[in-house]
Amino acid sequence: MINFLPGINATTAALNAERIRMDVIAQNIANAETTHGIDGKPYERQQVVFETILNEAQQPQSVRVASIEKDPRPPQGVYYPGHPDADKNGMVMMPNVNVHEEMADLITSSRTFEANLAVIKNARAMALQTLSIGRTG
Amino acid sequence: MSPVTSIHGVINPDGQISLYPNFTRKTAEQQPISAAELKQLTPSAPEVTPADGSFANVLGRLVQDVSTKQSVANEAVSGLLSGQNVSLHQAMIATQEASLSFQLMVEVRNKLLDSYQELMRMQI
Repeated sequence: MINFLPGINATTAALNAERIRMDVIAQNIANAETTHGIDGKPYERQQVVFETILNEAQQPQSVRVASIEKDPRPPQGVYYPGHPDADKNGMVMMPNVNVHEEMADLITSSRTFEANLAVIKNARAMALQTLSIGRTG
Repeated sequence: MSPVTSIHGVINPDGQISLYPNFTRKTAEQQPISAAELKQLTPSAPEVTPADGSFANVLGRLVQDVSTKQSVANEAVSGLLSGQNVSLHQAMIATQEASLSFQLMVEVRNKLLDSYQELMRMQI
């Protein structure tokens, strides 16, 4: 099969990985106030870990999400008497999600996505320019 | 510097400059050219064998490739639209690859047609 776009495998893998990262960030932001998960505990922040995929020659080629890990930081206690999940002192355990941090992560992720798209655009422009060699006039 | 550097004149033993050093002239004193020699001198057409690397096969493979890429793009787009596990960028990349390979095929075809028309316009 002809390969027109150089580096397209690595770029596609990176775009996939960034999409998963964005999914996880969206999940974190959505659950920033979730005090009651399935296990009864407040939501725990998730984060992605990327790893390199090797090609047949054992050289680093592209990237994938190795795992999605929990953030070990403790939940934050907030004084909120009357909340169904409040303890006897009126403290509610809020998730260890900082929305500002998540927004910064989201910007990083979307910029990385953009950078990978720029690689594809560039490769496409190069291929089109090369094809125009054959055009006369 | 001359743009054409590979054409040199070569001086023959008899002092004449020949543009074709490998071509020895038959003079009148020499024997007339025999039939066997004549056969050697006439250029024979290269034998055309439909080998694996023949141009027709290469072109056929190119067309096959373009067709495959287009069906891959088609699958990706319909997978995306029907909500299967295909992401937007995968579908877009597949369509771009199909478009590029199609453009390559069109360029090759244009070039072929151009050379054919050039031949037909040739004065005889």
